[in-house]
Amino acid sequence: MAKLNKDSLKTLSFITYFVILFVFWFILSGYLKSLLLFFGLVSVLFVFWMSYRAKALEEDSLPLKIILRLPFYWIWLFKEIFKSGVTTTALIWNGKYSPQLISVKASQNNRTGIANYANAITLTPGTVTIEIDKKTFLVHALSKKLSEDLQTDDMNKVITDLDK
Amino acid sequence: MSYNYIELISLVLLAIGCFFILSGSLGLIKLPDVFSRIHAAGLIDTLGSGFIVLALIIYSGFSLLSLKLLLIPLFLIFTSPVTGHAIALFAHESGYKPRGKNKK
Repeated sequence: MAKLNKDSLKTLSFITYFVILFVFWFILSGYLKSLLLFFGLVSVLFVFWMSYRAKALEEDSLPLKIILRLPFYWIWLFKEIFKSGVTTTALIWNGKYSPQLISVKASQNNRTGIANYANAITLTPGTVTIEIDKKTFLVHALSKKLSEDLQTDDMNKVITDLDK
Repeated sequence: MSYNYIELISLVLLAIGCFFILSGSLGLIKLPDVFSRIHAAGLIDTLGSGFIVLALIIYSGFSLLSLKLLLIPLFLIFTSPVTGHAIALFAHESGYKPRGKNKK
């Protein structure tokens, strides 16, 4: 993507957000009559105005930057969830768990990225983010192998790259 | 004939999802402390519900309904870590220490 200046990036992000909201409305309703589509447009505009007024569209949370990478990221995330889910299931059945606390460093440089990383850690079964202190997470892992997987830093890198 | 294949695939996926939910429930009872039990609950949230929704999508065929079904795991992706983190943080702040297997 070409380097855009701040204002045009913001405008494009607003448009993207608007389109996402409208597609979401359409998926949930499924109506194609023009009157109902108009009502949908009005409600989408209302939600857009509310999120603008609540300052939910600040610099950190503009959707444009990551929207193309997001589907690939979700596929990757599902693969990770499946892998550690199988490990956790095996640990539950054979009883060889050894819970431990570790600290993990995050290298993302905005709030959305850090929240994203913490969520991804919690979402993969077997690891839970307990506390966030600036850029260090306190993580509870169910076994040594799971905590070592986390300390290889793969997940951190993928989520940092998501935001470039 | 192809109808039967679709039914078979969704049945297998449903069975896998049920197995993960069973394991998660077993973990909820078996594991030693609050923090470990959150892992078991997370297993139900992600893999259990994920496989069951996948089976339902395959069973119902591709339509607007399957897009709606896809929204369920999408919402779970955002909400389930928040609840897990909230429980863990509260347990941590009220002074619970994680327990190892052999220490009582």
